[in-house]
Amino acid sequence: MNTKKEELRLMKYLKIEDNKGHYISQTGDWCEIDQISKDDLIYLLNKAISEDFKMDEYLEENVGHKAHQIVYKSIHEKFSGLVENKNVFKDECDSLFKAAIEKYEVADEEE
Amino acid sequence: MKKIDLHIHTVSTISDYHFEFDLSKLKEYVEKLEIDCIAITNHNTFDFDQFNIIRDSLDIVVFPGIEIDLEGGHLLLISDNSEMSEINDFSNKCERVRKLINTKDEYISLEQFKEIFPSLDKYLLIPHYHKKPIIKPEVIEQIETLISAGEVSSYKKFKTCVKDEFSLVPVIFSDTRYFSEMKNFSTQQTWVDLEEITLSGIKSCLTDKQKVFLTKEEGNDFFQATAEGLMLSTGLNVLLGERSTGKTVTLDKIFNTHENIKYIKQFSLLQNDAQKFEELLSRRHSTVSEDYLKEFKKVVDNVKDIDLQQNINDIDKYLNSLLKFASDNEKADAYSNTKLFSENHFGVKDLLGLKKLINATITLRENTEFKTIIDRHINLASLKSLEIDLMKEYIRIEEANLKKEWINNLITKVKDELRFRTSLTVPSDVDFYRIMIENEKMKKFVSIVENIKIEKEIDRKEIRGFKIVATTKPFANASHLKKICNRQISLVNAYDKYLKPYSYLVALKKADIEDTELFKYFIDIEYKTLNKLGFPVSGGERSEFNLLHEINDALKHNMLLIDEPESSFDNIFLKNEVNALLRDISKSIPVIIVTHNSTVGASIKPHYVGCTKREIVDNKIVYKTFSGYPSDKQLKSVDGETIDNFEIMLNCLEAGQDEYEKRRTEAYEILKN
Repeated sequence: MNTKKEELRLMKYLKIEDNKGHYISQTGDWCEIDQISKDDLIYLLNKAISEDFKMDEYLEENVGHKAHQIVYKSIHEKFSGLVENKNVFKDECDSLFKAAIEKYEVADEEE
Repeated sequence: MKKIDLHIHTVSTISDYHFEFDLSKLKEYVEKLEIDCIAITNHNTFDFDQFNIIRDSLDIVVFPGIEIDLEGGHLLLISDNSEMSEINDFSNKCERVRKLINTKDEYISLEQFKEIFPSLDKYLLIPHYHKKPIIKPEVIEQIETLISAGEVSSYKKFKTCVKDEFSLVPVIFSDTRYFSEMKNFSTQQTWVDLEEITLSGIKSCLTDKQKVFLTKEEGNDFFQATAEGLMLSTGLNVLLGERSTGKTVTLDKIFNTHENIKYIKQFSLLQNDAQKFEELLSRRHSTVSEDYLKEFKKVVDNVKDIDLQQNINDIDKYLNSLLKFASDNEKADAYSNTKLFSENHFGVKDLLGLKKLINATITLRENTEFKTIIDRHINLASLKSLEIDLMKEYIRIEEANLKKEWINNLITKVKDELRFRTSLTVPSDVDFYRIMIENEKMKKFVSIVENIKIEKEIDRKEIRGFKIVATTKPFANASHLKKICNRQISLVNAYDKYLKPYSYLVALKKADIEDTELFKYFIDIEYKTLNKLGFPVSGGERSEFNLLHEINDALKHNMLLIDEPESSFDNIFLKNEVNALLRDISKSIPVIIVTHNSTVGASIKPHYVGCTKREIVDNKIVYKTFSGYPSDKQLKSVDGETIDNFEIMLNCLEAGQDEYEKRRTEAYEILKN
């Protein structure tokens, strides 16, 4: 349990341990990667764009479990792509509907 | 003094509506309006044969001319008519213009124009000046020495040009097409101070503002209002007459003889229905609504195709297929064991932000207006190298993107091939980036909708004490939405979700609301007219407000006609508001009021008075019109007949002298005492 807390502090969400892939579930517990659900993925996605999202690199030799290899590799790649583009994502979000937000907020203030 | 009309159409071209030229109508026009000289000026064409026929059939001077589409504007070019060879040469040149212009949007350039007409000084050139489509000032500048006069479209503009020392000499012409069914003739012609008509004589007159007039004898303070010869002031006119003597007929004639006229018809302003009035206001002020919702529309356009449920399904599909593929691993064969079989697609980087950044850097570097300030903080060299670095980065990412796209295509292809050969299912792919951006968009959309739903005043205009206030308001129920929707569809189900913007948007789409209309269904914009005390207007006040609005609107027109404003208003309002406003407006455009009301007719102090009369001559009804100054003892008709002005005033405004005396002595005096 100590390690879980420690890793949470480091904002690690995907890790490789004992030849298997793991992820942090919504309750904050480490679970095996082949147990991951759609809701877990959505939870992780939100974390990936809002927090310092750390993951263990995928190295085939560290994951002995064949099924874990496939799932971890795929999810790791997907999240890497997203995390890499986090700044682009942030910039894009900041500029989203900027004119509209300002227009309708300003009008609000005037009132 | 000679009356000229140098803008006449006799050929239906691509720039005209279709008409069949009728020579007898043109003949009738020049005779009835007593015109001394015309020019035939068709759009980009000259019909030599037709010109000869017209010239031979009319007893007045006819010049050959053409109206040329030049650099997006119109220019009249009129040639001399004294020598046949000259007209022939002109005709050939016009033919060259005709060949160059094949659609109504085409025009010739100034260069082409000068090349076709190398000796421009032998023609009379009149550009559209204060008349659409204008010849641009920079074009006029380039042929300035040859242009002294410009065509205008209204008496107001004519008078303004005469007074303005920097303006061209104004001319006003009919610009009319002559066909057998036409009912009214234009009365827009120009008088020139000339003894004998020659092209050079006209050219010389058109260099001097003291030699052009709207009337033969009355200078520029009058104009011919009807083809029958009724002259009216370019200021304020009151038209009197007993019932059924042809007042409205006269107004209709003036309306049909001129262009761009504001005509406020009798009773048209009565507004007893509050809802209809609100609809009218909404229509009138639709630009306020459009302006306010412009940005919101862009947001809706952007999010309308986002399907959040589908996004969740995509994640689900990806995960299930991935987990299935992993668990079926034992069944893996040579095909499914290939790396590419379970390979994800590369994410492609969006370059929009970088593009904006590069453009911003270019803007900084190219700006000349604030160059000194920019230079103070950033030197040009580092700005340039920043620009280069950003561009290099752009190229690098773009190159990587292209490679990734190429590889993604390859992965798809290989996966497709492998899929056919194995029993295992290919893990499907999903674009997390797009899904997260769409989530973000939706969050912002929801927050914007919540903001716009807060009731607030978005616009306030004032017209002489009345205030028109536009406020936003959430829709109260499904039937409230009908205000926006013109079709017969039920929006009850959609409205149930009104408080949840995304679900509501989905429901609206389900209800078959057109994509381009979706943004209108989120808030209502209500217009209220408040009176001087700040309260909503009553029925009477609505009519008053309408009149004030319409009169104000008249300034966008060339003339204002009002038929019996008293039919909708009380005397106090007429005297305090309407009279003052009409007098103000008559300083800019001619105003003609038909009235029976003494408050309007007498108190408004018109510049000129007209009076209509119906007589039976030889068992036939004859309508006559008399006119004169309010102080004249007699009003005169076109053919010299006179009537007593005082008697007319009392008859039309006070129901006759006896009644007037009776009212004055019996009713008012008694009340006074």
